[in-house]
Order: sequence, then structure tokens, then C-alpha cells
Amino acid sequence: MFTTYEEIRAWREDTIRSVAEDPLQLNAFHDQLIYQTVQLAKGKVEREQGEVPAPFAFFLMGSAGRYEQSFWSDQDHGLLFEGDHQAYFLKMGEEISDGLAVVGYAYCEGNVMASNPLWCQSVDSFSNQVERWLMEPEWSSLRNFSIFFDSRVLVGEKQFLVHVKEKVFSYLNENTGLYARLVDNVQMIKKGVGIFGQLLPEQKGEHEGDINIKQTAYFPYVNALRMLALLRGVDDSSTLSRMAAMKERYPTVGSFEKDFLGLLELRLRYQVQSDSYEGVHLLPVKQLSKGDKQQLKEAIKQGHKLFSTMKSIMKKEGVL
Amino acid sequence: MEATFLMNNLWIVVCTILVLLMQGGFILLEAGSTRMKNAGHIAGKTVFTIGIVSMVFWAVGYGLIYGEGNAIIGFSNFFYGDATTMGEGLAGSVDFLFQLAFAAIAMTIAFGGFAERAKLIAYVIFAILFSILIYPVVAHWIWGGGWLADHGKQDFAGSTVVHLTGAAAALAATMILKPRIGKYNKDGSSNEIAGHNQVFTALGVLILWVGWFGFNAGSTFGVADAFFGYVALNTQLAAGAGAIGAMLMVWAVTGKADVPTTLNGALAGLVAITASCAFVEPWAAVIIGLIGGAFVFFSMRFFDKRRIDDPIFALSVHGTVGIWGTLSNGLFATPELATVGRPGLFYGGGFEQLGVQILGVVSCGLYAFIVSYIILKVMDKSMGGLRVTEEEEIMGLDISEHGGYGYPENLTPPKSKSGA
Repeated sequence: MFTTYEEIRAWREDTIRSVAEDPLQLNAFHDQLIYQTVQLAKGKVEREQGEVPAPFAFFLMGSAGRYEQSFWSDQDHGLLFEGDHQAYFLKMGEEISDGLAVVGYAYCEGNVMASNPLWCQSVDSFSNQVERWLMEPEWSSLRNFSIFFDSRVLVGEKQFLVHVKEKVFSYLNENTGLYARLVDNVQMIKKGVGIFGQLLPEQKGEHEGDINIKQTAYFPYVNALRMLALLRGVDDSSTLSRMAAMKERYPTVGSFEKDFLGLLELRLRYQVQSDSYEGVHLLPVKQLSKGDKQQLKEAIKQGHKLFSTMKSIMKKEGVL
Repeated sequence: MEATFLMNNLWIVVCTILVLLMQGGFILLEAGSTRMKNAGHIAGKTVFTIGIVSMVFWAVGYGLIYGEGNAIIGFSNFFYGDATTMGEGLAGSVDFLFQLAFAAIAMTIAFGGFAERAKLIAYVIFAILFSILIYPVVAHWIWGGGWLADHGKQDFAGSTVVHLTGAAAALAATMILKPRIGKYNKDGSSNEIAGHNQVFTALGVLILWVGWFGFNAGSTFGVADAFFGYVALNTQLAAGAGAIGAMLMVWAVTGKADVPTTLNGALAGLVAITASCAFVEPWAAVIIGLIGGAFVFFSMRFFDKRRIDDPIFALSVHGTVGIWGTLSNGLFATPELATVGRPGLFYGGGFEQLGVQILGVVSCGLYAFIVSYIILKVMDKSMGGLRVTEEEEIMGLDISEHGGYGYPENLTPPKSKSGA
């Protein structure tokens, strides 16, 4: 058992490079790190505030939720619980995010963390909240909804999240007009390849010459598969397992699997070299090998293709 | 008095006013392309340097260009005032004013290289020296019956005389002044120091565009055969093509249709066609403008990569494209229109005219650059630097050089220096 966050960090530093070549192994290790951090935080809060007052679920979102964390990543998480205990769980959320920061996970800039009341609620009020996001489909509430939907429980009651997602699926079934709004919400894809087939890096500032691999390459895959998961009522949160779930019904979707896996591996290979989360989505184009450039361009093009494939599926199913 | 003579004079006075109006374009272009804290300074210095150029041009500039002399320099007609003289078939006063307006444009282009960091006194002194030692020499060589005029150099309205000369001085200045604070990072990457108002910049470009009809079409020096209309047509086509060329190029290469690049493209089209507007056909004007627009984009990147900080892109717009415009004559000048020199390469003229154009560009560009560099270096040594102090540069030249802001409500004066 660990007694301090620093010990967990040391464990991370000792071990992470040995698992950094395989995205799945790496994510299993991240899960362990986060799990241990949550346990330590929970113990600490219990010593200070008394025993946990109700059953709860600590869930991950973002890249952790999708089981797609790279070498470095930031925090995206929430807490669901039974009954009226927000003050207690907010304390716990704060402790967890401070702990995770020590262990090496940067605070979430968008404040998607269990220390934020928006992401730390009773199952019922959160469920209503998610429904409200769909009922008032403004740009920012749909963005919140998309963030929420790539989620899985790491510690505690898995049922809590299943319950919320089930309500989502049935709401969407009755309001199929929402799919169009949801697609709109993630429609913008940062251009990564120019008309001469060249990579399009940042033009100005300190990241001049770097290409944002997250926005140009990775997001179209993630967003396309989230839309399809919503359409088919799949509650798996990872892009790869969502692809697997689509294979039978939409064989073309499955054919993008190797592009996506290749992209994850490419990203990992370059991220292992950076020493913090900052700038981790940016690859210096000049340092990419010829083969890697080719692979990245291909992955970007395929991502666009997948995104339009998703849209034509939506059309065929009559929701777009 | 003959009606044509009167019309010629009237037309050139109108064009003089248009060329003077181009300074208004520069004021907006430069102010919009730089930061708020320097806006009043940039605008104000443009006006007072027109004042300096006017005095110097009257005292010696005109005489050095058009006076009796040799192949290198003219040397009479100083302190211009003889109302009975004639120049270029116009009343002497009209010709004088028109030429003065051109000299002032070259000066303003040169000062592009000074932007946001040069001391005000450096502007004053360089304005005097540039107007005596640099501009008149090049103008005499090509327009005043100097050695390049004898070679048949084609520079109808001044791609070389005005634009390249100004840009060569700007290059010398920006090299000696060094980049603005915060422009380059330690690792050599560059930051964008965005101008504070793209609307000003765009309006500035449009005013320049309108004024350019005076610059180019006025260089006909008369209304005979309404040839000025043909020159104006080529000017319009090249400017439009330049804006399109630059925007398509930046869009294709970077993925974003950058606005400042597009605006510079329109100016590039204008600069490019300035030398050739009377010698080429309209289709060639379109090509010349398009290529000028595309060049300006690559040139902006070229200088930026070489850590040459060119705040208002004077080097690219007036220098690189000024060279292209001058050379384009050697390719596109037609036998019918080449009243000076010979037809271009694409009209069976061979490489002869292209050679003359290259000679002109190299000799004028080098002369303007070297003499500017020497003058500025000497000024740098003798004045304790051309550049304001770091603290002054940070607070902005509005307050440091002029004691008041262009935008007083938006900026607060720095605290007293004594309070550390």
C-alpha cells in the first residue's frame, strides 16, 4: 500500500517506460496509478471527515475515459453518489485532483474534475443535469454532454453511470433531431493536410512548426465513434471497443481500426520523449521521419473519411 | 493657351494629389499593422517626414535628379522657383510637385524598416540624408537622363526608383535596428506581433490602391491618346490578381487565408505592375500581379525565418516584388509598347531587355542598400544608437517620443521611473 502521492509518482516514474510501447498496457498502468491515488485520497478524507457517507462511483472521462491515455495526460473525472452529500464528495474530489496532480496528471484546464460541483453530484441530480444538457442543446451544453459520454467507472458503483447513460439513450431515441445538433457540435476538424498533401503545422508563436495531432488527426475518429455509439446505444467508452461493436452492422467502420491504432502508437512514440503534459499534443513536423509523416497524413485523411462515413450512416438511419 | 497643355497639367495635378493621398494609405496601413502604443507615432512621423522631404526636395533633390549634370548626378536648379521652366512638357511647378510626391513615397517605404523601435531623431536625420544622397541618385540614373536611362531601362512609374530604393533602405535599417523585443524566441522560432487593427490596414491598402492610379497613370505625364486609361487598366488588373494570388497561396500552404498576407498581395500586385504598366498587355498584367502576390507570401516567410523583423512587410512588398516588377518588363514588354528599351523575352526580344532590367535592379538596389547601411551605421555610432531604450520600446513610442498616446483612453502612462 502507498502512504503518499509522491510514492505513487515514484512508482510511475520507475515503471511507465517499460509499458510505454503498448497503448493497452500503458492504459492498464494508468488505471492502476489513478486507482491507487483515489484510494489514498479516500483514506485521507475519511480520516479527516469521517467514513464515506454513501455508495459512490469515481468515473473517468476524456482520454482516460476512452482508455486512450498517452504517456502524459491531464485529468478528466467526476464523482456520482447516492443522497445529499455533495460537500463531502467535493472534498474528496479536491483531494483526488490534488493527488493526481502530484502523481503526474495535469489539472484539467476546462475544470472537468470531481472538485467542480458540476462534475460531483448525486446520481439523480446528475442524471437530470445530463438530460438538461440535451434539452437545451446549446453549444456549450452539448460539449459538456460529449465530454460526459466518454466515461467509465474506475472505483465504486458501475451501476450509477449505466443508469445515467440508459436515460440518455432513451431520451435520444425519442428526440432523434438531437443527433444533427451533436454532429454539428464536433463538426469542426482542424485542417492537418493542405491541398498539396503537405502537413499543416502551427504557423506562429512558440509552437511554430508543430502539428497538433490531437485536433487534426485524433479527434475525428473519437467524435465519429462517439456519435455511432450514441446511435446504437453502446456504452463502451473506448474508440476501439466502439469500433468493434460497430463492425458487424457497419463493416466499413471496422476498417478504420488499423489507422486509429497506428495513430495511437505514433503519438505514443513521440510523447515518450516529452517530460510533461504541456505541449504533448504537438509534434514537431521537422523531427518526424518520412515514414511517420506519411502515416500521419494517411491517418488524417482516413479520419476525415471516417467522419463522413459516420454522417452517411446517420443519414441512412434517418436521424440526420 | 493650348487645351491639351492645360489638360495635361490638370491631369498631373490630380495625380499629384492622388500620390500624396497614398501617404494617408500608408498611415492607416502602418498604424493598423503595428501595436496601439505606437499608433500615434507611426501616423505622426509619416506627416512630418513629408514635410522634411518637401523641404529637401525643393532645396536640392529636384536639382540632383533633373539638373544639368552627368550620367551619375544632376547639379543645377537648386532651390526651385523659376516659374518659367518646363519639365516633361508640363509647367515646371506641376512637374516638380508630381516628382516631389514620388520622393515622399520612397521615404515612407524606407521608414517601414524603422517601425516600432527607432528614435524619432533617427527619422529626422535619415529623412534628410536619404532625400539628398540616395533617392535623387537612383532617380537621376533612370529618370533624369543618367546612365541607366541611356541603357533603355524600363521603369515606367518606379518599381525600382521608388519601391526598391525605399525597400533597400528599409532592409539596411531593420538589419541595424535588430528585431523588436519579443519577436523571436531563444530557439529561433518567431512570434507574431499582431497589428492592432486589420480594418485600418485594409482601408490603408484600399487608399493606396486608389492613389496608385495617380502614381502609374500619372506617369504618362499627359492625356495624349488617353493612354493613361490603358495604364490604369493594367494597374487595376495587377492589383486584383495580386490579392488573389497571395490569398490562394497562403491558404494553400498554411491552411488559413491570412488577412495581412492577402492585403499585402494587393499591394504586391500594384508594386509589380508599377514598372511595366505601360509596356505590357492586360493579360500579362494579370500574370505579373498574380506572381507578385504569390512572391510576397514566400518573401514574408523568407525574411521571418532569417530573423529579419520587417513589421510592415516593406521588404517583401516593395523590395522583393519591386525586383519582380522591374524584371517582368524583360519578359512581357511588347514591341508596340516598348517606347523605351526593347521588347521582352516572350516577344522575341531575347535576353537583352531582361539583362538591362537586371543591371538596373542590381545597381540601384545595391547602391541604395550600401549607402543607407553606411549612413545608418554612422548615425548608430554617433547618436548612441538608432534604437530607443528597452524601457521606451516597452512603453511605446507614442509616450516615449511624443509624450502622449494615439489611444489615450486605452493605455495608461507608465509609473514614474524613480519608483523601482
